[in-house]
Amino acid sequence: MAGAWETVIGLETHVQLRTVSKMFCGCSAAFGAPPNTNVCPVCLGLPGALPVPNEHALQLAVRAALGLGCTVHPRSVFARKNYFYPDLPKGYQISQFEQPLATAGSLSYLSPDRGIATATIQRLHVEEDAGKSLHDRFPKQTAIDLNRCGVPLIEIVTGPDFRSPHEARTYLLTLKQVLEYAAISDCDMEKGSLRVDANVSVRRVGETMLGTKTEVKNINSFAYVEKALTVERDRQIAVLEGGGTLAPQTMLYDSKTNGVRPQRSKEESHDYRYFPDPDLPPLVLTEQFIAEQQTLLPELPAKKRERFVEKYALSVTDAAVLTADRNVADYYEAVVHAGADAKTAANWVMTEVLADAKDHADGLRVAAGALANLIGLVRGGTLSHQAAKRVFAEVAERGGEPRNVAEALGLVQVADTGVLSGWVSDVLGAHTSEVMRYKQGETKLLQFFVGQVMKASRGKADPKLAQRVLEEKLAP
Amino acid sequence: MSVTHDEVRRIARLAELDVSDEVLPLLGEQMSRILEYVAQINAVPASEGVKPFVPGPDAVRFRADEVKPWPLAFGPAEFAPAFRDGFFLVPKLGQFEDADT
Amino acid sequence: MSDPSEALASAKAAADRIVNVKRLNACLTPIKELRKSLAAQASTAHPSGVLYGMPVAVKDNICTLEFTTSCGSKILEGYRSPYDATAAAKLKAAGALIAGKTNCDEFGMGSSTEHSAYGRTLHPFDKTRVPGGSSGGSAALVAAGAVPAALGSETGGSVRQPASLCGVVGIKPTYGRVSRYGLVAFGSSLDQIGVLGRSVHDAARVLSVISGRDPKDSTCEDRDSLRLPNVPESLQGFVIGVPKEYFPQDLDAAVRRACDRAIRLLRELGAAVREVSLPHTAYAVATYYIIAPAEASSNLARYDGARYGPRFNGSEDVRALYRTTRGDGFGPEVRRRVLVGTYVLSSGYYDAYYRKAQQMRALIAQDFRNVFDRGVDLLFTPTTPTPAFKAGEKLNDPVAMYLSDIFTVTANIAGLPAISVPIGRIKGLPIGGQLIGQAFLEDEMLEAAYALERAVPAAEEA
Ligand SMILES: [Zn+2]
Repeated sequence: MAGAWETVIGLETHVQLRTVSKMFCGCSAAFGAPPNTNVCPVCLGLPGALPVPNEHALQLAVRAALGLGCTVHPRSVFARKNYFYPDLPKGYQISQFEQPLATAGSLSYLSPDRGIATATIQRLHVEEDAGKSLHDRFPKQTAIDLNRCGVPLIEIVTGPDFRSPHEARTYLLTLKQVLEYAAISDCDMEKGSLRVDANVSVRRVGETMLGTKTEVKNINSFAYVEKALTVERDRQIAVLEGGGTLAPQTMLYDSKTNGVRPQRSKEESHDYRYFPDPDLPPLVLTEQFIAEQQTLLPELPAKKRERFVEKYALSVTDAAVLTADRNVADYYEAVVHAGADAKTAANWVMTEVLADAKDHADGLRVAAGALANLIGLVRGGTLSHQAAKRVFAEVAERGGEPRNVAEALGLVQVADTGVLSGWVSDVLGAHTSEVMRYKQGETKLLQFFVGQVMKASRGKADPKLAQRVLEEKLAP
Repeated sequence: MSVTHDEVRRIARLAELDVSDEVLPLLGEQMSRILEYVAQINAVPASEGVKPFVPGPDAVRFRADEVKPWPLAFGPAEFAPAFRDGFFLVPKLGQFEDADT
Repeated sequence: MSDPSEALASAKAAADRIVNVKRLNACLTPIKELRKSLAAQASTAHPSGVLYGMPVAVKDNICTLEFTTSCGSKILEGYRSPYDATAAAKLKAAGALIAGKTNCDEFGMGSSTEHSAYGRTLHPFDKTRVPGGSSGGSAALVAAGAVPAALGSETGGSVRQPASLCGVVGIKPTYGRVSRYGLVAFGSSLDQIGVLGRSVHDAARVLSVISGRDPKDSTCEDRDSLRLPNVPESLQGFVIGVPKEYFPQDLDAAVRRACDRAIRLLRELGAAVREVSLPHTAYAVATYYIIAPAEASSNLARYDGARYGPRFNGSEDVRALYRTTRGDGFGPEVRRRVLVGTYVLSSGYYDAYYRKAQQMRALIAQDFRNVFDRGVDLLFTPTTPTPAFKAGEKLNDPVAMYLSDIFTVTANIAGLPAISVPIGRIKGLPIGGQLIGQAFLEDEMLEAAYALERAVPAAEEA
């Protein structure tokens, strides 16, 4: 049944910019302070207070716009969005409306269904955040904390470009990656530094007109993005298949029940009466200001991925894993620059390093140079791959130079034929029937004997040398 | 330009103002007269190409990103009509109760 | 004056004079509190300040740490600002004493000081008349001789109009000359703090102190404070334009006589006087009464009873809190303007009203530029169409009240400096003449005002 329908989704993402102070006042933008302590006349909306914009917020916003391939307008206008809400002290939010900071960008992402797909970025504008309302702190009262009020945000609006909830989620992860790379935002949905609203509609496959759309709000974790959109899509299809019609309304997602319900506020509360904010002259950005932001933008994930494929002869998948996080990508390159083979280094980073990082708050505990040395020890035959993993774990835990650690652990491979012969003799003596079978032509048992020698040597035997000695001793 | 009572009510809701039924007729009439008076600007033709004029600086100046709030001689606890444990208090949201929790 | 005992004496004398004119209801500060604060301020004021010991009353919509800041409104009854407006801070830094808060039309919305929640202010010469507004309290206190100068604020003429009606000097500086930080916003793109003074000099020296750059106001220009000009010997070299649109056929005959006399004196002082035209003047009041209420509807949204100010009645939910607070807290004129402003910004009406008004504003500003570009330095006009009118006369006719701003709103619309100087009496009531200057050329405007002030027999019938 679902095959007969096409889903159309557009996303509006609010991202908190990484500044130390708020958008229009000098209050700290830090998360987690006691309630109403990061406040001043401006963000409290006291009579007579006026906004003054934060330069770094605008630098970050322009970097985001450039990173998303937008046209940054040299002249844009702050506008007031008027509505009443207890955590909105001025009765309006300073945002941008008719003349936003940037328009017409795009972001490519790897669609699970269509390969590389491109989302259009219709607009990107700057605005201030509202405060926080707590409804269950006191009985019959709502508690208001204005610490977050006035924190700088950008809103990034896509076209109706996503054809499945999964695609929408993939775009969002790609966007997050770009914004984290450029140090524009922490993109932490749980802390509210990235929030997303979605416009969802469905239509019959082949239809070109858009269906009635609803806006899905209150999706407050990456884990719920796909779920919330799927629930709403399925609800719309069910209504239409039941012969009903859809109302263009706002739906609130409830993660506890994994359901959506319509928001009850009245329609007229959406007449926001936007007009240019008379407290703020036009936002005029010089060519130099914009050019400077371009130079401060790091190489972004898509570019880096391409370069890794080309320069280090990696597969697209491996390059994608290595470039997903800027720190990991930088680390990988440092390992290669320290002399490690690119392919081997990639394997180490994708397995041991990422596994260790995952268990230790994303920390890269073994220095890039140390990992390069460790890889060198394996390549030179001093350590087996198995032994090297133990050395890695030890260095991660307690530090030290890989060679010293390997020696201290007694893991350096024994390449002395005399010592090896002893272990080989022991092994052959203990497995006489296998020796018989080998001699009768079952030569694939050689690997079994190598394994036994490694075991007897507790991993210290050089496996290649062990194989040679075995072949000699078993020769007819 | 005559403003209907329903329109006055709708605008009053948008502006979050209580307007009682007794004052509604007079208010509607006064609003109509004001709007009728100001609508005369539409008699001036061909202002489409005119760029809006706003006095003041041509470009907004920026503030450095530093934690340096303008001073507050005393805190919210001193001027808030209802304040507890560091929070401003307002009655429950009522129609707004859909708000994210 | 540079001696603390003189400052204390000045403070006490000011308090005494304010008590003496208590019947005008011009000062909202309780007298005990005023005396105590003035004495404290006098003992700590900085003796090297240029206004050391000078008592300056401040309009109730300008935030001060001293006294309450209620904007003439019930919705801010008892509200104490936790910070000083930049203008108030600069006054104090110059050694001036904040001599109480003055009555005004609620949030500056009105032209008669009748729209105050704390009762109307009386005209100092005739208690049945209004002092003008919205800075009527400041004008009445200065006119009654209680203080040499007072801060007012303008959105459409609220300093010049009461100055004209009370027979004192009123200056509105160029938009962006004085910081608006701490001036409670009414129409942000029109609002400026202005000064009322017993003479051009008193008003100008206070203006000089409060002017200049302020990092707290994005609309304040990055300029040094205003430098005071010398009183000129003559007005030789000045070209003064007289815009014909400000002298319509039906202009009050006595007002016309007073203006004609002033124009003759300006000529005698050496100025070249020329008739000029500002063709879009007829649309100024309409333009103003779209832009100002639109901005006001948004600026006054913050008065919702949630964070400061009193709460009225018990409210079940937050919407009820908003509606009763705003419904009971705002007076009828504020309610009207908030509704009109909400209407013109609302969906479907924005283009016909607000956008169109912004364009009209550009045409009006262009009119002034055209005249100034053709060699005119200043414009001379009447400040008000009539002398002080009777209390209650225009209370129920908002449009008639709005038309008393007809000669003053244009300077706010175009962001230009303007000054009202007393130019005579009409049946004993004062009337002012207005000089409109070019942006940031207050010094030229003040030179002409000094000369006119010295030449004109302001106390004589026109
Ligand atoms: Zn703040």
